[in-house]
Amino acid sequence: MELHSHIRQTLQQVAVLANCQLIEPITDDTVLLESGLDSLGFAMLVAQLEEELGMDPFSEMQIAVYPRTLGEFIAIYQQAADQTAG
Amino acid sequence: MVFLQQLQQIPASQLAMDGSEPKSYQQLRAKAEQIRQHYPQLAGQAIALHYTGLAEFISALLAFDGWCSALYLLPETDISIADEVYVWPADGSKAPTAAVAASSPEAVLESVQETVQQTVWYLATSGTTGTPKWIAHSFTGLSRAIKCKAAQQPLRWGLCYQPYRFAGLQVLLQSVLSGACLVDASQGDAGARIQVLQQYQVNALSATPSLWRQLLMTNQLSAVPLQQLTLGGEIADQPLLTQLQQLFPSARLLHIYASTEAGVGFAVSDGKAGFPAAWLNQSHSQVQLRINAEQHLCIKPPVIPLEQTAVTVDQHGFIDTTDVVELREARVLFLGRASGAINVGGNKVHPEQVEQVLLQHDAVLQAKVYGKASSVLGQLVVADIAVAPDTDTKALQADLMQLCFKQLQRHQIPTRYYWLSQLSNSNTGKLSRKESNV
Repeated sequence: MELHSHIRQTLQQVAVLANCQLIEPITDDTVLLESGLDSLGFAMLVAQLEEELGMDPFSEMQIAVYPRTLGEFIAIYQQAADQTAG
Repeated sequence: MVFLQQLQQIPASQLAMDGSEPKSYQQLRAKAEQIRQHYPQLAGQAIALHYTGLAEFISALLAFDGWCSALYLLPETDISIADEVYVWPADGSKAPTAAVAASSPEAVLESVQETVQQTVWYLATSGTTGTPKWIAHSFTGLSRAIKCKAAQQPLRWGLCYQPYRFAGLQVLLQSVLSGACLVDASQGDAGARIQVLQQYQVNALSATPSLWRQLLMTNQLSAVPLQQLTLGGEIADQPLLTQLQQLFPSARLLHIYASTEAGVGFAVSDGKAGFPAAWLNQSHSQVQLRINAEQHLCIKPPVIPLEQTAVTVDQHGFIDTTDVVELREARVLFLGRASGAINVGGNKVHPEQVEQVLLQHDAVLQAKVYGKASSVLGQLVVADIAVAPDTDTKALQADLMQLCFKQLQRHQIPTRYYWLSQLSNSNTGKLSRKESNV
């Protein structure tokens, strides 16, 4: 679950940078659009993860899939990481 | 034909509103005629219109087009306007006062109908230095792309853009002139907008690719009975087009290319990114297209826009849109702006304006701002900063964020800083744009 905690940590860092107040508590069921992160903050999170993980699953997808919750968001990264490893 | 006359030819229909009483077009027309009767001294004058609500806005447009000499649609940002321009709705010293001893309404109405004239519409655009400037349009030009077929009538349009900007005005005119219903969904976050779209069963929607992505993120878009989907204001990418097409297989999917400077645009309806290369060197939607030596898309509109000082028109009447394109597999694909202007979710950012703010900090030796591709918002603003070797970049970044939050709008703020000892002159804006857009 290293990826899981990494993404959660990056989310907190990006929220500070983007001047966004995250709701408490943030869980896997948190709806991204209601997390306190606005669209710019969300874009920054994806950009930051791309730098750190070397992948942006949203730009690599042939068909765009949009996550509703943080859990869904993390699952997309997990899937992309598994595919790369496999 | 002016706006009011065109409206008289369409059947009355409901105009739904967000959070207030729906108004019919008949009511709006009556309100417009009332304005003309109560303020006869405004005939032939220049008016600057503030947006206060959809119904009031449409009534004012109907009242003033063809009756006033000029109509300025005020943006939310500061923009200079001449002293002799009346501000509407009335708000203080420059406000018009209702004529007290007006002659009979019939007499006024007669004089009103005699004073039909060509009104010059002014829409605000952000200039190259970030200072907004006015671009002149005619009503004929603004309504050229409007489709008024009978099939358009049952549509219920959702308005996701600010109606005083080019894109929003297009949606407004499309609904009003085709007698379709118009629902104001221009406020709030994606969740709030989805609520409005569902509540009023909106079936036609025009939005930026970035807003479409946010609407998809709510996971509730499929509950909106969309028959017509339009993407504009940003480059529409293939994965998003494919996703929307799969979600609404029987809907009409369009992506629009529009140039405020050229005053025209065209729609692509085949669900593929870019437009067919076959459209080059031939007329399409009354405009001619070609690519110049610098890989810019050039457009020849049927009518050259009014008072164009900011655009380059060649000897054949082609206007340089300064949008960089490339030809790939029989498609013309958009890469970005030649000026280096960054498009963050449909909001234009001028690098120079952001650089000016960053350079206010003593520790910033050089600053270069450019766009980085984002799968969420199209592009993000990033900055290369040249600093002295012993600089505490972490502290500097915090300082710069503070500076930017104070002086810039949210979408203009750099989201990432790259610290360098010096900026290379060979690293041209053109190079970084290509890197960031492909």
